[in-house]
Amino acid sequence: MKPFEEQFTAWVDGQLTGAELADFEKQLAEHPEAAAEKDGALKLGKLLREHPTVPPLGNPEFFNHQLMQRIAAETPRPVEKKRAFFWSLPRLAWAGAACLAITLALFQTTIPGGAKHIDKSNYFAQVVENWPGNPNVSASTVYSADDNVTVVWLDGLDYIPATYALNK
Amino acid sequence: MNELRPPPSNTVPTETSDIATGPDDLDLVARSQAGDTTAFNELVTRYRNRAYAMIYNMVRNEQDAWDLAQDGFLKAWKSISRFRGQSSFYTWLYRILMNVTIDSLRRKQIEGGTEFDDQIGLHNIAPGASTAPKAELAPAERMSDKEVRQRIDEAIARLSPEHRTAIVMREIDGLEYTEIAEQMGCSLGTVMSRLFYARKKLQALLKDVYETI
Repeated sequence: MKPFEEQFTAWVDGQLTGAELADFEKQLAEHPEAAAEKDGALKLGKLLREHPTVPPLGNPEFFNHQLMQRIAAETPRPVEKKRAFFWSLPRLAWAGAACLAITLALFQTTIPGGAKHIDKSNYFAQVVENWPGNPNVSASTVYSADDNVTVVWLDGLDYIPATYALNK
Repeated sequence: MNELRPPPSNTVPTETSDIATGPDDLDLVARSQAGDTTAFNELVTRYRNRAYAMIYNMVRNEQDAWDLAQDGFLKAWKSISRFRGQSSFYTWLYRILMNVTIDSLRRKQIEGGTEFDDQIGLHNIAPGASTAPKAELAPAERMSDKEVRQRIDEAIARLSPEHRTAIVMREIDGLEYTEIAEQMGCSLGTVMSRLFYARKKLQALLKDVYETI
């Protein structure tokens, strides 16, 4: 069975019917003030409905404007694609590799390599350390691989004594 | 759930001319769900007055009602994707607004340390007994409309958030018990009990008003 408060509320609002209403009205025989209470509750409801205290919404257009601003501020914007920095790591790596390749190519084309020179040249020059009596004399040799000949070049020597003639 | 009934005559109506001529609510909702803020703005225009009135009836303060209506609509925008059309848009919105308002009232109650004495006017009163105090009756001609409204404001402000919600939903918004129970997330019995005590208290506070006008 419903508590008295619930039944009383339903009775005031006209929600009790049939046997439920009859039973409750029997209970009310012990509460002679109940009818006055119901009357008071109905008058209260009428008072509340007939005296709306709600002032009109002032400046309704501004209400919308303010709300739309808040919505715009709180709605996450689509993530803008960041402007990529030109020198990204892969680009730096590629640029480095390209620079290295260019440098090597320039080196290969503009500076003769030692071994390559040796392979293609027929001559080999070497300053020979010597101890001539005349300090103005210097010696060097030139070797021709094709001819298999070594030429000794003595610079600053006025003449070669016959006894110093070289034999092949 | 049941659809909320049209607003009683004392509440501020919807801007019905927009509804009659413009697209229906569900169209606007669908566009809003796709991110169209102009469609949502249209929904706000339709229901801002009802929302504001409903909240004002609860908080009895214009600035608070404005702010809470803003918060409620903002919350509705953020969760519009979850609206499935199982009820009318206003029914769905009403619940959001009511929750925002009840939360605010509870927060104020905690922050302000306010205790709503639901027993005011109920001391030594058995259920069913006459609750009205021997109030001094003011002559009807001496109580202006403004005074009546002020008395109503003051009386409702003395109710707890739960009792206030129940009485506003029933007497002012004209909801059925089942609708109130659904909106408040409680049982039918709890709704009826809250109405019982809210009425008792308001009768105690306003008897001199309704007996003399």
